[in-house]
Amino acid sequence: MAGGNGRAIDYNALVKPDAVHGDCYTDPDIFADELKKIYGRGWVYIGHVSEIPKAGDYIRSWLGLQPVIFSRDKAGNTHVLFNRCTHRGASICQEDKGNTGGFRCEYHGWFFRLDGALSAMPYADAYGENFDKTQYNLRKPPRVDAYRGFVFASMAPSGLSLREHIGAPALAQIDYACDLSPEGELLVQSGATKLAYNGNWKLQMENSIDGYHPNFTHQSFISAIERMTGAKMEIFNGDSKLQSRDLSMGNANIDSRRHNIEHPHAQARLQAMQKTAWGKKYYDDLVKAHGKARAEEVLTVGGTHMNVFPNLVVLAQQVRTIRPVSTERTEVFLRPSFLKGVPDEVNTQRLRAYEGFYTTAGGGIHDDVEMFNRVHEGLRCSHDPWLIFRRGMHREQTDNDGTLFGQCTDETAQRGMWRHWKSVMQQEMN
Amino acid sequence: MSVLREKVENFLYKEARLMDENRFMDWFEMFANPALYWIPANQEDYDPDKHVSLFYGDYNGVKNLAIRLSEGKAFAQEPRARMRRVVSNIEIEDGAEEVSVHANFIINEIRKHEQRYHTGRSHYRLVPADGAFRIKYKKAVLVSLDEAQDNLTFLV
Repeated sequence: MAGGNGRAIDYNALVKPDAVHGDCYTDPDIFADELKKIYGRGWVYIGHVSEIPKAGDYIRSWLGLQPVIFSRDKAGNTHVLFNRCTHRGASICQEDKGNTGGFRCEYHGWFFRLDGALSAMPYADAYGENFDKTQYNLRKPPRVDAYRGFVFASMAPSGLSLREHIGAPALAQIDYACDLSPEGELLVQSGATKLAYNGNWKLQMENSIDGYHPNFTHQSFISAIERMTGAKMEIFNGDSKLQSRDLSMGNANIDSRRHNIEHPHAQARLQAMQKTAWGKKYYDDLVKAHGKARAEEVLTVGGTHMNVFPNLVVLAQQVRTIRPVSTERTEVFLRPSFLKGVPDEVNTQRLRAYEGFYTTAGGGIHDDVEMFNRVHEGLRCSHDPWLIFRRGMHREQTDNDGTLFGQCTDETAQRGMWRHWKSVMQQEMN
Repeated sequence: MSVLREKVENFLYKEARLMDENRFMDWFEMFANPALYWIPANQEDYDPDKHVSLFYGDYNGVKNLAIRLSEGKAFAQEPRARMRRVVSNIEIEDGAEEVSVHANFIINEIRKHEQRYHTGRSHYRLVPADGAFRIKYKKAVLVSLDEAQDNLTFLV
């Protein structure tokens, strides 16, 4: 199989059912091949519509290494535009976010509208009478689509639809996160915490759905929680009812449904909502919007904890984007998500819970990042290149919806991600 | 030098030394109760109930941070960072019940053989206590507040 530099890469030999070769993280040729086959072909998460709520709003994002602008035009339509002047190649948008009437390339003054249309060039007569401006609009990925506000782009003109790419089981998980809002909408407009580490982007994807590491990597956080609550935190043990689930298509989650619904605290949590005016209002509005059964289900389950392949993570109060930079470097953007149409107290509570774990000065995420750096160092030992993903292979089961699941400390979720990665990398470019 | 300036400088230098030396619980003792400690993210000012912060905590939040870091289970601080910081450009505004202080900081940090610099400006509201002060409010504004950070698990 031809890799990034035309070198033959045998992906079948690199990804076994129970193990992954270290080259999948460290080989620059494989990284270059990923940029073509994953980030340059399949659906890639760009941003959330609520990040650009008003006409003229824009943010910068990436399609792999390629910089893009996610903008909203005056008619309210959203666009994904390559951040590159069609004249001589300069990037035309410099700020990470803002509001503008259009994008002017400051090199020679070409001006593009929010929908990417070339509007004007200085001294246009030099291009002659028959010059067709529409040939020089900002370039766009051929396909852009959204599910519940999550906007994706694909460089393939045809192929799987976004809904097929995500798949029904993962769509249902996104629904859990969104249905916590009576209006069914997340608001991703409360800033970001930004992290970077030395290592491959897939280290963060594997970790986001890893139910084996918390009791070890996050000892400092768990110890703090136990000190504050006075109770032992026994969520991520080997006999926990949390599940490691392969949602198919490379998507996966730590599934808390069974654990949270069967847990004696489930009813107590619902009852606690009745103790404050804002809790009661939230409960009542959610019941009004979704019906009692669904409202109580989503409240009890409490959102989701999932990956959408290749670069989106949706957690209870967070939307996370993974940005590959090289085999040596990855950036991660974590954004708290608010619920539309709920009392302010609900969102402030979500924000404080997020900050307790997921900020750079907070109690958890940096211990994850430390482990990514350590894996990256360890992978320099090429004597035994294999990373072992065999936990719980013997006890994996197929659920009614066709997904595979195991106990939360099993590596069912990671195996699913790697199976999909292999199948995508084995498909030649057309 | 005025007596107030000398007292404020002594207090800030002591805080800097305790933070540099990872003396978390001693540093926590410098806070008043109630207190507020805030490290903004992305921009310098906003409503912290509507926008994420790198740290936003009250007296108990600061206490939990200090205990958590001192327990030795936070692996992002294993091994610990070595640091020394310089506090300067101190501007003081004396008030009836508290002293408002702004000060720049430059932290030189080395961990696992990598050297990093962190700079910023902190705003303190100090209340008199025991001949010195306690921190009623501290807002540490990093120059890098909107950058992707490798590790920010020490005290700023």
